[in-house]
Amino acid sequence: MTLNRRTMLKAGAAAAAAIPLFGSKAFAQEEPLKVGFVLIGTVNDNGWNFGHSEGAKYMKAELGDAVAEPTIVENVPEGPDCERVLRELAQSGHKLIFATSFGYGDYVIKVAQQFPDVRFEHATGYQRSENVGTYNARFYEGRAVCGTVAGHLSQTGKAGYIGSFPIPEVVMGVNAFVLAARKVNPDFTITPVYISTWNDPAREADAARAMIDQGIDIVAQHTDGPAALQVVEERGAVGGFGQGADMSAFAPNAQLTSIIDNWGPHYVLAAQAVIDGTWESKDVWPGLKEGEVEIGPYGPKVPEDVIAAAEAVKNGQIDGSMHIFTGPINDHTGTERVAAGVTLTDAELLSMDWYVEGVIPPA
Amino acid sequence: MQFRLEKRREPSKAMLYATPVVAVLLTMVVGAIIFSLIGFDGIGAVREIFFTPLTNAYKWQDLGVKAAPLIIIGVGLSIAYRANVWNIGAEGQYVMGGLAATWIALLTYGMSGWWILPLMVVAGIAGGALYASIPALLRTRLNVNEILTSLMLTYVSVQLIYYLVRAPWKDPMGMGFPQTRRFSADALLPNIFPGTIVHAGVPIAIVVALVAWFVMSRSVFGYQMKVVGAAPHAARYGGFSENKTIWLALLVSGALAGLAGALEVSGPFQRMVPGFPTNYGFTAIIVAFLGRLNPLGVIFGGIVIAITFVGGEVAQTSIGLSNAATGVFQAMMLFFLLAGDILVRYRIRRVVPQTAEARS
Amino acid sequence: MSPELIIAIIVTVVGASTPILIAALGELVVERSGVLNLGVEGMMLVGAITAFLVVFLTGNHYLAILLAAAAGVAASMIFGFLTLSLSANQTATGLALTIFGTGLSALAGQGYSARPVTLLGPLFPAELALHPIWRVLFGYSALVYFSFALVFAVWWFLKKSRAGLILRAVGENDLSAHSIGYSVIGVRYAAVAFGGAMAGIAGACFPLLLTPQWAERMTAGRGWIAVALVVFASWRPFRLLAGAYLFGLVMTMELYAKAGGGPLSAIPAELWAAMPYIATVVVLVLISIRRDASNNAPACLGKPFLPSN
Repeated sequence: MTLNRRTMLKAGAAAAAAIPLFGSKAFAQEEPLKVGFVLIGTVNDNGWNFGHSEGAKYMKAELGDAVAEPTIVENVPEGPDCERVLRELAQSGHKLIFATSFGYGDYVIKVAQQFPDVRFEHATGYQRSENVGTYNARFYEGRAVCGTVAGHLSQTGKAGYIGSFPIPEVVMGVNAFVLAARKVNPDFTITPVYISTWNDPAREADAARAMIDQGIDIVAQHTDGPAALQVVEERGAVGGFGQGADMSAFAPNAQLTSIIDNWGPHYVLAAQAVIDGTWESKDVWPGLKEGEVEIGPYGPKVPEDVIAAAEAVKNGQIDGSMHIFTGPINDHTGTERVAAGVTLTDAELLSMDWYVEGVIPPA
Repeated sequence: MQFRLEKRREPSKAMLYATPVVAVLLTMVVGAIIFSLIGFDGIGAVREIFFTPLTNAYKWQDLGVKAAPLIIIGVGLSIAYRANVWNIGAEGQYVMGGLAATWIALLTYGMSGWWILPLMVVAGIAGGALYASIPALLRTRLNVNEILTSLMLTYVSVQLIYYLVRAPWKDPMGMGFPQTRRFSADALLPNIFPGTIVHAGVPIAIVVALVAWFVMSRSVFGYQMKVVGAAPHAARYGGFSENKTIWLALLVSGALAGLAGALEVSGPFQRMVPGFPTNYGFTAIIVAFLGRLNPLGVIFGGIVIAITFVGGEVAQTSIGLSNAATGVFQAMMLFFLLAGDILVRYRIRRVVPQTAEARS
Repeated sequence: MSPELIIAIIVTVVGASTPILIAALGELVVERSGVLNLGVEGMMLVGAITAFLVVFLTGNHYLAILLAAAAGVAASMIFGFLTLSLSANQTATGLALTIFGTGLSALAGQGYSARPVTLLGPLFPAELALHPIWRVLFGYSALVYFSFALVFAVWWFLKKSRAGLILRAVGENDLSAHSIGYSVIGVRYAAVAFGGAMAGIAGACFPLLLTPQWAERMTAGRGWIAVALVVFASWRPFRLLAGAYLFGLVMTMELYAKAGGGPLSAIPAELWAAMPYIATVVVLVLISIRRDASNNAPACLGKPFLPSN
């Protein structure tokens, strides 16, 4: 009964006050916080969704009894179905909800208006409101490390990049990779291949075959799953990179290193903020420095000096002494897009729709 | 002791209504047992999937919104299937209806006027009907099987969405993501009850079903559809043209699928996105059969399927039953429902062996 | 284009074509008996998870293929029982079977997604496939040779064998076949079971031939391509062989063009993806124009067999 009254008080306060969500410590919760996660795929995808479910587990382990067992809803399409799931979570007492796919944006904003006492966080999105925050991870920092390794090890100077759709996140990754590689080998090129799906492992594998057969010896990927890496291993090409998780079990020799999505720390911070009543809507975009993006162990093919060079790039991004998107940067036609010494802003990065020099652009 | 099936002279009315109920009940019992045996909370799963969606007003709204497109498409398909015309490409017609409505919404972007939404709906209906006219033309002119052409065209339409939202129709302010602009206010389907999520598509679905029921049971058109479907040769003597029936069946089912597409894109979606094809067109095939190809039955079928979708998500949030498990539940229910069909047309007779021998 | 590259492309095309060829050959026999089973995708997924689990647990690839076939048969028997014994609607039952297979395979595969297995190796000793030219002939696993043998076997069965004649008769005119004394339902059960076995093996190709892992929904719509392919081939095994390789070539050339540049890379991805389906409709139209009113579709396709008692 007390709990109910407390919740109602809180909802009432939220509705009455114009800015109820800032620092309302008075309503710190005693019941365990229920946290919901909405996923576009299944937690068994070895990639994006797996990363979020690991983050959820980490949050539970760190915060213990302060949070309830996290609720994960899988295979939620980007459309009205997601609106229903979000509402379902909000109605069933979840006070913090993570929507982890871009296409959920409109619906998060909509449902958030109906539930002012529930906090929403939308991954990779850009629309915010009083109780909707956005968060993302600077994966491009990890790709700069991978690109450095590739620049050193590639014999043909050609890399391929398997992506699903040319959205800014993917374009940014392609660009960061080749910018880093060209700092090592100025002739380095990268060919993005978009396969129009996030989950078709046989097609990812065939894309990797098509690349290796045509002189590409480094296969990077933005799609989830180890299929491309397995092909690199089987064909004995120079190597590839784990996406989202360490995939060395699938390609012990071919995985040069991996970019690990580590959402856990952010989920702990967000949940703790809700428990403390200090949560506020903001846009967070942490990266290597905060540990949200991690570089996995280096593979056996990567010699000490290359590891040192890669670590230097990693540490430079951690201490802020380097940013991969600092000019001069030309686009793929050779026209200067970023002047020397200028760094692209976050907003420019998040809407990136042009390729840098060294990218062989797709149709 | 032996059993044999004996054909009924008339389809059993009692079984027509009883079998869907029995099928749902059987799914609950068998599902609970099997899922308990393999280590899930079987009883909890049944409770969450089948009952929780019915427990509160919010869920009723969800059911209505989810069922509306299924009912609209399902009604169209039930008419076509009655005429023995097997349009299984409603998904593609739904997509083309949505694209046609989107086209109007983008042309009129920034404008206002009461006429925009009706124009989108008309465009959607036309888009769906036009896309269905391809299988109709091929079937009537060249005798090409409409099951196959309508299915193939569905995949083509999905690629068309991908292309349009990636290139010509991409939202200039959308941070480069493949989707169109959000439609202007007058291109959005209004909610009929303030404070709810129930949009105008829900009553439209009911009206469509009622009108279709009336037309099918009371008009010459309905009679023609049924006669041509049941006995094409007899129909020819009766002066009903088979080709005309095929055209009508495909145009009506395509138009209704297109209507559903226009309502979905202007209502729940509010913009065209790559995720627009959500299998409503395929699910509606199942809905049409659950409804025994009767427009009123389709309302029931649409709601039952909507319950399992909504309930499946409830089960994920409340007891952590995985999405895969709810898929198995759904399939099991469909199997039972389809199996129940036979009891409508046949009766099970217990026969004494001697009699059976004497008969054969 | 260098000879090495052409050979490499051929090898990839063979991989992409083999599962759709096997699944489509199974469906071809099913459809020739007058049954339309749209559950191919679901049966393939059941086969894929079975093959994966068997390899993961035993390491025996051939046992995996065998059990994948058995699993496909088991799944197809649900369809068979409902549509043949209970004369439920085939279209709806096939769709339900796909939902079932998708869910069941995902359920069985939970927890196995981060586990690698090994591919089925080449059938012939590696010495035979050293030179690239020989690799084109001798470099494949048994599944590929099986798919070729299957084309001949299905062709021979339908064209030359008595059983095949009965099967076609059942598909063309079930009532006459019944009145002559053939068991329409029995023949169709056998055909559906064969289709299930082939779909199961086609599913097994995914973890054993293409990408040695389990991923939910890893067949990614190939079952529907197989259904399209049967139509594309107008229900003939050798045309189906050509069609499967044409579809495989289209799917593969897109990737080679994009990875290697060249004029083909300018074609939008969506057009590439739509091509097999557009081609199927075009072929359907062409067949019909050439043969006037009737096309090659089995006359009883998709219709339940309802003898008057």
